[in-house]
Amino acid sequence: MTVFSALLSHYRRHPLQLLALALMIVLATMLWTGVSHLTDRARASLAQSEQAIAGQQQLVREDGQAVSVQDFADLRRQGLCVMPWLEVQRPSPEGRVIGVDPFASACFGNEAPGQAGVDALNGEPFLDIAEAAEMVRQGSEGDLSLLVPVDVEADAVPSDYRLKDFSMGPATGELGESFLLNLDALGVLVLLITALLVRSVYQLGLVQRRESFTLLRRFGVPAARVQGLLLTEMVGLTCVCVIPGIWLGRWLAEMLGAGFGQVLENLFDAPLYAVDGGGFAMPAMIMVAVVLLACFADQRVLMRLPGVTGSVPAWWFGIPVLGLGLAMVAWPFTLGWLFVGIALVFVAVGLLTPRLLSYVAQWGAEGAGAITLWQRRELAVLFRRLALPVVALQFAVAMVLAIQALVTTFEDTFERWLAQRLEAEFYVEVPVQAAAEDGVRYLESLSGLGDWHLVQRGATQVRQETRRDRAGSSVAADVFSISPIGPLVMGWTLLDAVPDAWDKLAAGQGVMVNEQLARRQGYRPADPIGFTLGEQFLELPVVGVYADYGRPEGEILVVGQILPETFTARFQSLSLNPGALPIAEIELGLAAVWNNDNLTIRDNASIRSLASGVFDQTFLITRAITVLTLVLAGTSLLIMGWVFFTTRAWYYRLLFVWGLSRREVAGQLRWLAMFLTGAVAVAALPLGVWLTWVLVSRVNPLAFGWSLPMAVYPGFWLEMLALCLMIGLAIALLMRRQLGGGVPAPAMANVTGGGER
Amino acid sequence: MTWVIQTLRWGLMAIVLSLSACSETPGSAGFAGLAEQVEEETFAQPAPGDRLRFPEDFGPHPRHRIEWWYLTANLTTEQGEPLGLQWTQFRQAMVARDPAGPAPEPDSWPLDAGWMAHAAVSFQGQHWFAEKLARGDIGQAGATADPFEVWHDNWHLQVEGEGEGDGHWRLQVDGEGWSYDLRLTVNGEPVAHGEHGFSAKTASGEGSMYFSLVDLVIEGEVTLGGETFGVSGQGWFDREWSSQFLKAGQQGWDWFALHLESGDKLMMFRLREAGGDFLSGTWVTPEREVFPLGPDGIRLEKIEQRDTADGSVPVQWRIQVPGRQADLNVVAPQGHYWNDGLFPYWESPVSVTGSHQGEGYMELTGY
Amino acid sequence: MVASLLTARGLNKQFRSGNQPVSVFRNLSLHLDRGESLALTGRSGSGKSTLLNILCGLEKPGTGSVQVLDEVFEGDTDRQTEARWASLRRQQIGVVFQEANLMPALSLLDNVRLRARLAGQSEDGCRDWLERLRIGELAGRYPDQVSGGQRQRAALAMVFAMKPALILADEPTGSLDRHTAEDVTGQLFDLQARHGCGLILATHDVELATRCSHHLDLGHLPEN
Repeated sequence: MTVFSALLSHYRRHPLQLLALALMIVLATMLWTGVSHLTDRARASLAQSEQAIAGQQQLVREDGQAVSVQDFADLRRQGLCVMPWLEVQRPSPEGRVIGVDPFASACFGNEAPGQAGVDALNGEPFLDIAEAAEMVRQGSEGDLSLLVPVDVEADAVPSDYRLKDFSMGPATGELGESFLLNLDALGVLVLLITALLVRSVYQLGLVQRRESFTLLRRFGVPAARVQGLLLTEMVGLTCVCVIPGIWLGRWLAEMLGAGFGQVLENLFDAPLYAVDGGGFAMPAMIMVAVVLLACFADQRVLMRLPGVTGSVPAWWFGIPVLGLGLAMVAWPFTLGWLFVGIALVFVAVGLLTPRLLSYVAQWGAEGAGAITLWQRRELAVLFRRLALPVVALQFAVAMVLAIQALVTTFEDTFERWLAQRLEAEFYVEVPVQAAAEDGVRYLESLSGLGDWHLVQRGATQVRQETRRDRAGSSVAADVFSISPIGPLVMGWTLLDAVPDAWDKLAAGQGVMVNEQLARRQGYRPADPIGFTLGEQFLELPVVGVYADYGRPEGEILVVGQILPETFTARFQSLSLNPGALPIAEIELGLAAVWNNDNLTIRDNASIRSLASGVFDQTFLITRAITVLTLVLAGTSLLIMGWVFFTTRAWYYRLLFVWGLSRREVAGQLRWLAMFLTGAVAVAALPLGVWLTWVLVSRVNPLAFGWSLPMAVYPGFWLEMLALCLMIGLAIALLMRRQLGGGVPAPAMANVTGGGER
Repeated sequence: MTWVIQTLRWGLMAIVLSLSACSETPGSAGFAGLAEQVEEETFAQPAPGDRLRFPEDFGPHPRHRIEWWYLTANLTTEQGEPLGLQWTQFRQAMVARDPAGPAPEPDSWPLDAGWMAHAAVSFQGQHWFAEKLARGDIGQAGATADPFEVWHDNWHLQVEGEGEGDGHWRLQVDGEGWSYDLRLTVNGEPVAHGEHGFSAKTASGEGSMYFSLVDLVIEGEVTLGGETFGVSGQGWFDREWSSQFLKAGQQGWDWFALHLESGDKLMMFRLREAGGDFLSGTWVTPEREVFPLGPDGIRLEKIEQRDTADGSVPVQWRIQVPGRQADLNVVAPQGHYWNDGLFPYWESPVSVTGSHQGEGYMELTGY
Repeated sequence: MVASLLTARGLNKQFRSGNQPVSVFRNLSLHLDRGESLALTGRSGSGKSTLLNILCGLEKPGTGSVQVLDEVFEGDTDRQTEARWASLRRQQIGVVFQEANLMPALSLLDNVRLRARLAGQSEDGCRDWLERLRIGELAGRYPDQVSGGQRQRAALAMVFAMKPALILADEPTGSLDRHTAEDVTGQLFDLQARHGCGLILATHDVELATRCSHHLDLGHLPEN
């Protein structure tokens, strides 16, 4: 019998231990693979969809007439790659459908908008253009556009036509990016939790094999050799377990993610091909590395996390680390710095939590009765001995709390973002060569029209105000001009403002700046701000700072009246509520005054509902990931808790010997287990809230220049607490079954450990 | 005879139309669905006794389901190198229509018919190919008989010059990184194949209307990868229409159109099927005498196969026409000549040796 | 006060080894009065521990009855029977195992206090018991911080602190060296004699057995 087989013989006698270790590696791999797969997929899908909506352009007639099938045929015969896009508004539930011609889009190759394949022409939302044309013939409102590939240059366009941007949905801007960054952070956290789980199982295995090691050493096998063999064993086991883990993770991700691409497709009307399976090699290598690091890192690395066994070295080391981490997060210089800070805080919390919980459990127990004292002491032991799974569950719960708050916040923010952008029911683009004033005059002449305003966008230079600054330098920003200032904007969220801010803005006595500009340049209400409008230089007080989600650019909001003649609007549009008037009539009127039949009019309500639907789905998936993490962490604590409780079964049995009834012993166990998991939930709460705060108030502003509002959801906290208590209850029930069996021999306590305190 | 081709869009269009007609299994519906049963009440089916009419038959036949305009050319560059070239345009109808009746409104983006165009250039062992698709009746692709014009996007074949008969044709095509612009002079009258233009495709009577212009003199320019070549040579033009070509069980065909140095022209095809192949052809003498060749009048023998990434194809053949004392060795040049569209097929120039010298084109489907 | 402490009649116990029932003992009867001590000897597997477990209700006999003080047990397994046994163990029967008699998370003193408290005794005298067993200075230590002999002394302290009527000791010195073992057993007999409780001692040690007032060799039981 070789040393190696002697080492392995332990598992022949205790196959369940091997199974638990293998299961934990499989589950951990599955979790991490699933999450990273979903994250990758979400990222790829979002990237593709953004590219798809950003990338399109169309041809419109120079004379302002609407394009027709004749234009299409003419352009094709001139050799241009053009495809028709017939958008038809249908009554619910069909909503908007889009007719495309799969023959014509062939020249777009894979870039063809809306071409996930001919079999996707099922009316959701794409269908063959002949069917869409038939709907129009039967009275539905239809709008034909002619799309050209993005690489078509203006000089390739026949002289009667010109290129124009074509947007197939609302651009989410950096909102999506931000969301993905947070998903990434989630992935890293999951990896950390994975490592903790693996380490805890491994440590437990070591404890249970202590006898074998002692024996081997007694036989003269050097410790280094045993260590090497253990390493071999773990590598082998990991390799075997990682593959099914990855496979399961993929499978899981497919299940959860199936709806994701679909939803994004619906939002952006773009096909998503981001379903690349990816290789097995990379995740497998990462997992092997994580497992080995988790199991053997402390052989070489000074800092040790507390283990299932052994002493708890360096727990005090957590205190300075915590201080350092918190400081780094409080005053972050860069995003990288911030992430290091977060990591330090987690390490510190991991070191301190078991100690702290253990201390709290015994606190004040001295004066208590003997049984209470025993309970408290026993609990303290559990906290210390189950440190790793306890910390893993704590992290998982904290993560779930943070993600839940983040997702809810995102949803809310997204709602606000939509509200801010799509306040009015309709949005009418002012054609390039048309005079916006004509449209304004026309709207003013209407009676019965609801709220409306003209939006003009352009560029400005904002003088930099920093004291030590070289005089005269300036930063570029956007100008967002609105006239008149009315109810459509006055509902915006102002982060900070002087009294009567909107009145002052409307009177031209001040400007508002968006959060990005305010943060970057340090503007507060009443500060003067110097900026250019056309050739004019103005200095006005800042009267308010408004939240502006999802964009990196600084922006100044001004009333239209102060725009000088020399100001060039890059883009002009009307936002309006038709009020008592039918939108078709307004459209006709505007088309007449602008002499242009090809107006871009967007029904904001439908965009809004569409976009909300997408994000709902996306968030749903994120929640699914977090719940999964929680379930796995919970399972691990369940397994570990159960195993550890089992090693102490003799001592719980002593209670029975000492005259407690079975029911009383079970009650004690229930109390212990539920207190254990409940305390974990409570310990996770501050970490979760802190993590939420970091994500919305630190990561986002650093990464994108705007913050998300911070919100807490105590109802969800209670749900988490209940979940943790249920895990505890499950452990207690398992233990009760265990003790219900035969009489344990006292020797068992020594063989398997369990006499720890 | 590019039946081949039409393969193509058949499948896609059928799906688009939610027709259940499409089948890609050769056994049931033939290569690319060509053996599909005709709906008798809608589509007209050519039959012995049908006659050709000019110039109408240069234009589309809306009562028939499938038709094509097809040109092959054996050209030589100014440097003396051989260059082969092909252009085909297909019409595939979903709905039969009376030519005298109203056409569908373009505004309705009708899908009564689909068009497909193929073009290829074979030079120095390389093969360039492009494919285009369009729906009919919206002006993007189409054909007219008088003045003669066939177009698909910016590809077109049309009559240029004054008067009838003495004008020449011009063919312009461009693919990605290659193009050609040719001037074609048409010599001679159309040659009717089979029985006054009815060309049987099976022993049981299915067939098509089929005529050819066998003597085209061509000159022009071919641009390949930025380099422009002056070219000249001879060409062959086919018109063919039907509503059903293959019968169930026919798997594909081997088709040849050969210009012999003697001035003779030979068109022959073989339809491959399990129970015995169907051969047919036409011999045209230098004096333009036309001799239809029945199954007994031709022998076709495979001499050599060539392995390619897309399958193994026979590239050398022996064709015997005992009635004309012809024993021809027909061989494709080195290279791979797959038209790699929706339904890939082989389309290559060939050279002829043996009892006669010559050149021509070969089309192989179903391999 | 009744002199009779424990009476067992017609105890049978068997367990299954594979498919074969193996008899541990058959028709075993014994009796013990207050102040008496009984040594159980026999080779390993002769059923010493099993008999002790039956005598304190941790295991059920196959057949037979056990009477402890006024409580008679006829082999019932209902909840009420269990509660009667639990109550006896809590207040009247002290059990000492070969090892692991102490809760690891509690100090020696706290272990003794816990046991006394469970038995309804005052916690006041607990430290005295440790003193009497000569481990008073170790009262604040935890079980893993003291030697095996000291742990067993603490276990005795726990038992005496509950003021039991009957002590069941299962190889209480089995894992100790001879000198320590003698010391511990000496104290056990001494205290037992002084407090007049009954003692049943399972042991391999024949010499030890001779110090008991009665001796039962489970390895040489008559078959009937």
